[in-house]
Amino acid sequence: MGKLVSALVDRAIESAGLGDLLTARRRDARLPDDLAARLASADLLALGALADCVRQEEVGDEVRVYTGEAPVEDASALIVISAGEGEPTGLDLLRRVAVARVLGPRGVSVRVDWAGCGLELAQITLGFGANELSGRIANKRGLPLAPGELAGVGKKSRRELADLVKRKELAGYVRRAFIDALGVAEITDERALAQESA
Amino acid sequence: MTLDGISRKLEARERLTFDDAVMLFRHPDVVAVGQLANQVRERLHGDRTFFNRNMRIEVTNVCVASCLFCSFAKLAEGAPGAHTMPLEEAWGELESRMDDPPAEIHIVNGLHPGLPFSYYEDLLAGFKRIKPDVHMKCFTAVEIHFFATHYGMTYSQVLARLRAAGLDSLPGGGAEIFHPDVRGRIAHDKATAEEYLEVHRVAHRLGMRTNSTMLYGHIETFEHRADHLLRLRALQDETGGLQAFIPLAFHPDGNGMRNLPAPTAMDALRTVAVSRLVLDNVPHIKAYWVSMTPEVAQIALRFGADDLDGTIVHETIYRAAGSRSPAALTVDELVRLVQEAGRLPIERDTFYRVVREYERAAVAEGALKVRDRKAKKHLQVAS
Repeated sequence: MGKLVSALVDRAIESAGLGDLLTARRRDARLPDDLAARLASADLLALGALADCVRQEEVGDEVRVYTGEAPVEDASALIVISAGEGEPTGLDLLRRVAVARVLGPRGVSVRVDWAGCGLELAQITLGFGANELSGRIANKRGLPLAPGELAGVGKKSRRELADLVKRKELAGYVRRAFIDALGVAEITDERALAQESA
Repeated sequence: MTLDGISRKLEARERLTFDDAVMLFRHPDVVAVGQLANQVRERLHGDRTFFNRNMRIEVTNVCVASCLFCSFAKLAEGAPGAHTMPLEEAWGELESRMDDPPAEIHIVNGLHPGLPFSYYEDLLAGFKRIKPDVHMKCFTAVEIHFFATHYGMTYSQVLARLRAAGLDSLPGGGAEIFHPDVRGRIAHDKATAEEYLEVHRVAHRLGMRTNSTMLYGHIETFEHRADHLLRLRALQDETGGLQAFIPLAFHPDGNGMRNLPAPTAMDALRTVAVSRLVLDNVPHIKAYWVSMTPEVAQIALRFGADDLDGTIVHETIYRAAGSRSPAALTVDELVRLVQEAGRLPIERDTFYRVVREYERAAVAEGALKVRDRKAKKHLQVAS
């Protein structure tokens, strides 16, 4: 498998019977017919490792976080997963995200809306193939803030969102977080965010 | 050392070192770390996942300690929000639940300087009078240390008197972070790490079983977490008396570290996983749902945890610190959490003896089956 995958992860993907999928995907070859069934029953962490590998190779380490109206620049290059409604468990959500990454078009953005599942679960999806998060900033009780309240949210919540991405530590370093909320300037990297917070 | 190296060590049943633990905490691939922990978890317990019927009671929040992370304690009797339950009120908590009684009562308190020691003895004896077979898991090592110094007894004497009154085991709270660089800043005026560990050592020598914890996600480093785990592993090598380890996520609301962000779900999963890998001699790792939310606790069952704690009821310490977890889960909800994670729910007693083994359910099918049954039940009720 590719150099990005450790032998341990490689073995886990192989032993879950998913080894041929990454190869097929890299070659843009036809995916096996029984793929959906295999992904539905595959070991979740092995599937997550596979999806994460695909994510890293195809869209890199950048995570975009949208707290307002999230853009849809090209609908064919975006899969939006609204978690919560009809989702029996967080484990099902992780599988759904991973399957979207593995079966989706090459280089597609997999965006998870945290409104239904909460930020905690949404963060975990970043390890299972997601590369975008979107949703409203909520108050402590989880209720969405009214537009009038948003002005009071300010830098602290945006800082926390950036931390959420940073703390995932997927690649061991901070990735760019684009936070488009509140009608303020786009924040393109951690240094800029730090300057703004200061 | 790489993850592959760690994997080889685990296969050879070699112990992980301090450096290994730090590397695992730092490793960017949390899912891969989780896979390793899951292998160990399944080697130890297969799909078996434990919970119990328990009840939390905090009889007083008056406390002489001034821990920076605590949102529960009020420093003096009479301070706004300070409360000490009369014994009848505490016993009433159990009496009101005798239609579906808990198997275990878990009591943790502030360090109240004004109560006589007999208050605690009477408290225990009263619960046993109401329900003689209820398991009393009460008083952290920090409380036992406080009792010893405040009432002029040794740890053995305190434990002997409390056991005579009905105490059965000790919970794990109060460990926080053992390293003095952290403990000296966040919990400088209560039992030291050595004193905490000595209380557990004495309890184990007396034949008691205890749990232990680690409060993570505040000012500590990964090195401090590794140090903490290794100290517990060393104690367990010596006594074998620890039953479970419970990583506790820091919650920042209303306490002296409110400017810090709470640890994230990824950190919770990572900490559960590394704990499972390092604590090779501690049988059980708990995903404490009050601390990490039921949803994340359920995922932790795939990252090394084999226990969800219990039904809880009336937990106030985490709620004071801003936890958004529910106040209680029913047995049905706990069973469903476990089943839908593709695991086998086992209701246990405090010593992990099986009380009831529930139905197994495959991951996808099981979830559907459970939902189907629930839907049918609703239909029956409606009709």
